[in-house]
Amino acid sequence: MATRAETLGRVKVFRTAKRKRGRLHQSNLTAYLMIAPMVVLLSIFVLYPLGYAVYLSGYRISFYKGNQWVGLDFYRYVLDDPRFWASVRVGFKYVAMTVPTMIILAFLLASLIRSLSGWMATVLKTTVYVPAVLSSVIASVVFVFIYQDQGVANWFVGLFGIGPVAWLNDPGVSLAAIAAPGVWLGFGISTLILLAAMLDIPQSYYESASLDGAGFFRKSRYITIPLLRNVFLFLIVTGVVLTLQEFLLPLIMTGGGPVDATNTPNLFIFNSFRDFTPYATSFSLAASLILFAVLGAVSLLIFKAVNSVKAVDG
Amino acid sequence: MRTWRGRLIGLAILVVAASLIVTGTSLGGSSSSSRTAKAQAPVKVTFWQQKFEDYQQKWFTKYVRAFNKSQNKIQVTYVVVPGDVWTQKLKAAQAAGTQPDVATTNYGNIAPGVLNGQFTPLDSLLPKAAFADIKSNVRSFVQVDGKYYGYPMLVEPSAVLYYRTDLAKKAGLDVKNPPKSWPKLIKWARAMNVGNVKGITIASVAPDLGWSSWGLQYNACGHLPISTDWSKGEATDPCYTKLLNFYKALYQGSLMPQQPKVGYPDATPYGNGEVAMMVNGSWAIGQIKQYFPKLLAKTAVAPMASFNGDDKKTTATLGGWTLTVDSKSKQKQAAADFIRYLLAGNPKIMAGFFELSGYSKFTVRTSVDKALASDPKAGKDPFMKVIATKIVPYGRQEPKFPWDISFAMGTAIESAMKGKQSVPDALKTANDTINSVIQKQDLAGAGKGN
Repeated sequence: MATRAETLGRVKVFRTAKRKRGRLHQSNLTAYLMIAPMVVLLSIFVLYPLGYAVYLSGYRISFYKGNQWVGLDFYRYVLDDPRFWASVRVGFKYVAMTVPTMIILAFLLASLIRSLSGWMATVLKTTVYVPAVLSSVIASVVFVFIYQDQGVANWFVGLFGIGPVAWLNDPGVSLAAIAAPGVWLGFGISTLILLAAMLDIPQSYYESASLDGAGFFRKSRYITIPLLRNVFLFLIVTGVVLTLQEFLLPLIMTGGGPVDATNTPNLFIFNSFRDFTPYATSFSLAASLILFAVLGAVSLLIFKAVNSVKAVDG
Repeated sequence: MRTWRGRLIGLAILVVAASLIVTGTSLGGSSSSSRTAKAQAPVKVTFWQQKFEDYQQKWFTKYVRAFNKSQNKIQVTYVVVPGDVWTQKLKAAQAAGTQPDVATTNYGNIAPGVLNGQFTPLDSLLPKAAFADIKSNVRSFVQVDGKYYGYPMLVEPSAVLYYRTDLAKKAGLDVKNPPKSWPKLIKWARAMNVGNVKGITIASVAPDLGWSSWGLQYNACGHLPISTDWSKGEATDPCYTKLLNFYKALYQGSLMPQQPKVGYPDATPYGNGEVAMMVNGSWAIGQIKQYFPKLLAKTAVAPMASFNGDDKKTTATLGGWTLTVDSKSKQKQAAADFIRYLLAGNPKIMAGFFELSGYSKFTVRTSVDKALASDPKAGKDPFMKVIATKIVPYGRQEPKFPWDISFAMGTAIESAMKGKQSVPDALKTANDTINSVIQKQDLAGAGKGN
């Protein structure tokens, strides 16, 4: 038989646990309520369309004769299509040209801005950010003029006795010509993100390194870069995923040419969709889903390759 | 306080009640009149027009208004859709079931559209006289298996040679004898390729080459790069080698702009004096007349050169536009009545269109020909005379096969021009692509001639 004290003790423990469970239940409910709008919106605008797209990709879609079930045929057609793979290669080449350039430029500029003080830093920050607020359409048109036969780019290379170069009509240089405005548009925001992260690194680290005689490169190598690891991871993942999906610049500047040299995956899918046949609609749908899988796999690989770590300072 | 609040609430109730009574009365009162109005309400027809030159939109606006005023049974809603968004907008509308009743459709899209069940046959919706008025060589453009799926509006040759007589004279060339063969055309281009002025401009990107070279593909080989029953690719036919070499010579010899600012159908570089010759469709005359009138006296037109100098061989296809009625339209007869008024009715309406176009497009109806014959301006137009007598009679119909086939050939030409592939490799790639398209789109046996 339990004594009265023991019984009272058990009751107390039971009540405390119940109170805790109640509080936990209540906090869970609050959390669910808070994420509910996002879950509902995601379900309506992402999950349902995605599921429906997967369902439709098994059909030859016709708005007039009804859909015809063809199973995985269109996935086979896409995977079989050399132009699809060529467009994926173009996408990766574009990523290789833009993302590292953008991050290196942004790192150098952020380091420079960090070392400046007062109004100079403010002016530089504003100047660097200006391209980010420009529309890609406007940037594309401006660069089309720059690349004309009598444009600034040809004037510049002409100073070295080169050219005129058909920047947008030569399969060898057109992708690089499109990458230039791509970098220009994107590096402003990367610079500001890196700068914000750099300003969070305690100044005392650099002061200690300076006392030990470290210069810019050693400080960057042993302090800045390791502490910005997570920011770099973010910039790489978002940079790769966004640039692999580049669409507007080649659409306006080259239409995907010359000879598909700038035909990025999204542009390839878009141009496939613009055909009138029922074949084209299902084909572009299957290609979009395969590209979705490719992008997911690429993001996963980057996360695996560059593990995020908790900062030393916590 | 209470009294005021009570009065206010009372007033609010009174207002709401009164408004309900008024609304109710008006709704109740309108029910019978709405039924009457419904019985008399005009049938609504939606018409989508792909955006072309400005004068065309003005012409369509004028006659849609005139049609709506001329009767009270059909009301046409006219929508202009820019060409670069046409396909996606139309597809989205088709998916949502809000597609237009009437739409502009080019000849090349009639057969694929019929295969997809997209168009209504017009045979029972228009009088027989309307079809009898269509010129015999154009009827097949809008027919599939003997049925009419569109009413034709115009034809325009896809390739005409324009040249500057002043620059030709300066280069010591005989302006009365324009180049008839490809080697001679290259020679002319070289002679007039002086300073910042390039010798010639012609299509140089696959989306333009795909269709603008149809005439020259016929010229080089007598056929397009697919067998007549669409069962296999024929792009590796050796006769295409000379076609690719011709384009390659113009591009790699820097006789044409290396970075064209505009697409093939735009005559602006010629108008701005950046090129001495131009291969373009007949529609370019309209642009020159409207925007570069000073050039008219210095411009002459001729049939596009043939590979061997035979000016009776095809060098251009006859493209153009029709109006079609959607198979899902709920107002098929009303839609057809509108088409009848606009394209198949009073010949003066279409004659006015051709006058506005600067006689850069050509009629498809015998009665409109007669109306134009009585127009002294039309008879005197030097460009129209050359195109009507020396180009149109030898023009061929645009192909009915899917665009992917033409695009594959356009890519082959571009690839050879820009040195991405050798001529044989480019043709082989095109042939492989065409065979792949045939297999994936089940085209084998669907062709009934090119």
